Amino acid sequence: MALTLTCPICGKRNGYEFRYGGEDKGSRPDEKGLSPADWCDYVHMNTCTAGVQKEWWFHRDGCGAWFSTYRNTLSNLEVDRPEDST
Amino acid sequence: MLFTYKSLWGKKPRLKSSYEVVIIGGGLHGLATAYYLARDHGITDVAIVEKRYIGFGGAGRNTAIVRANQRTQYNVPLYKEALDLWPVLTKELDFNLMFNNCGNLNLMHSEAAMKAARMTIATAQFHGVESHLIDAKQAKEMVPALNISEDITFPIHGAMYHPPGGIVRHDAVVWGLAKGCAKKGVHIHQQTEATAIHTQGGKIAGVTTSQGHIKTPKVLVSAGGYSAGVINHMLGLKLPISVLTIQAMVTQPLKPLLNHVVSSGAYHCYANQTLKGEIATGAHMDPWPNYTTQTTAHYIKHQAEALSDWLPCLRGVRFMRIWGGLADMTPDMAPILEGNDPIGGFYMDCGWGYFGFKSCSAAGKYMAQFIATENCPDMLKPFNLRRYEKHQLMGETAALVSYTPDN
Ligand SMILES: Cc1cc2nc3c(=O)[nH]c(=O)nc-3n(C[C@H](O)[C@H](O)[C@H](O)COP(=O)(O)OP(=O)(O)OC[C@H]3O[C@@H](n4cnc5c(N)ncnc54)[C@H](O)[C@@H]3O)c2cc1C
Ligand SMILES: [Zn+2]
Repeated sequence: MALTLTCPICGKRNGYEFRYGGEDKGSRPDEKGLSPADWCDYVHMNTCTAGVQKEWWFHRDGCGAWFSTYRNTLSNLEVDRPEDST
Repeated sequence: MLFTYKSLWGKKPRLKSSYEVVIIGGGLHGLATAYYLARDHGITDVAIVEKRYIGFGGAGRNTAIVRANQRTQYNVPLYKEALDLWPVLTKELDFNLMFNNCGNLNLMHSEAAMKAARMTIATAQFHGVESHLIDAKQAKEMVPALNISEDITFPIHGAMYHPPGGIVRHDAVVWGLAKGCAKKGVHIHQQTEATAIHTQGGKIAGVTTSQGHIKTPKVLVSAGGYSAGVINHMLGLKLPISVLTIQAMVTQPLKPLLNHVVSSGAYHCYANQTLKGEIATGAHMDPWPNYTTQTTAHYIKHQAEALSDWLPCLRGVRFMRIWGGLADMTPDMAPILEGNDPIGGFYMDCGWGYFGFKSCSAAGKYMAQFIATENCPDMLKPFNLRRYEKHQLMGETAALVSYTPDN
């Protein structure tokens, strides 16, 4: 199996049930005074981390929940929240 | 002597303490850029640093499909030039690149897809690239093994036929370019990983590698699927890229049955028969970023189902090998070719997704011009990084096959 993810409602499920929702970039920036560069940063730019990253997932073929989790992009394994993360 | 052989790309050079240009990544784009820096601009004081061996990345893993029938007017001329360069390079490098000009057939499975194909064909024809629309019966005449019955998952309505494309031997391109580079004095350093890029006053100053430090005013990152991670890690620049693992596989060798590269967006599957007789077929990507290059049972099943639908004579045929590599996908399915912005002397050539083989010769030629003259050639201007913040994404996502985590 390539990937399993833990939905907060349904528990551990096959990765193909989910849709990847992007790197977790924090909350949507305030539109007041937002520059095109900052918007682009939020919408398109990625860190492409080779290691553990916090990211969004959507349980598309399940309960429909959006949640964030930590995954190691080098192994495709979901991991516990690292100690130094926010 | 029977058992002694020389490396095609010369003796192992010593890593010097400075170079005029350092290229990170000994893949197709790094090698091609170095070759054209030497050939067209007389710049031979160039080091290619490669963390593993040349061809380790996508260069040695791709399925070698070449074509010039992209969707937009910015992309077609670049890919056309790349396509036209195969026979030229074969002569110039004195290396058989084994261009099998078998032509490409893109299957269409709906009337809407036929309309989209008309647009793509008009773009190709406008740029002098041969491309035609054919109906299902004509496709069947060209590929008798094709299933054009109406009771399959995605019945075939017609196809886009692109005669100038085909297959080029990917390893030969790596070896031929490396040989060409070495002959002109370029240093190829294998087993040499770049670990840091240094800047001073907003300009490139040097590169640290696993084999030592190099002073240089110009760096090109052409590290394929690793580029975006490398650039973020070493320079703190973020790119609009998602790195996915893409898989491909071959069947056992068969008698000749497939004389074209045939692909289907709806089945998400392409296939061609190699000169050895294997059916080479791809290309699944799990749509979540990862660097694993792992293969999956999920995909073997997908491919078996798809192929037994539209090429039913392959039912029961065995897969022999399956492998994976990285594809660095951008939201507009077009690459990023940028330089001197925001760091002087810093160049990048990445975001090629699964198109970076067919484009490497022309991209290398123009990247070399960019690096040598420090001015972006007109051909590369549309591929600048700032297009994303200007909301000028390229329309390549409207191409017939489009697959990224962004859509
Ligand atoms: C399965 C598969 C099928 C494909 N099919 C096709 C196809 O049919 N047609 C097509 O046009 N394209 C195809 N592609 C895409 C194509 O292979 C890539 O776009 C292309 O190889 C990119 O070339 P590159 O030179 O930029 O990178 P690569 O060829 O990937 O080379 C990058 C090199 O950089 C090195 N590197 C990375 N980090 C460092 C570092 N820190 N220091 C030093 N070196 C480093 C790597 O080891 C690697 O050798 C396919 C790819 C895959 C994986
Ligand atoms: Zn759920």
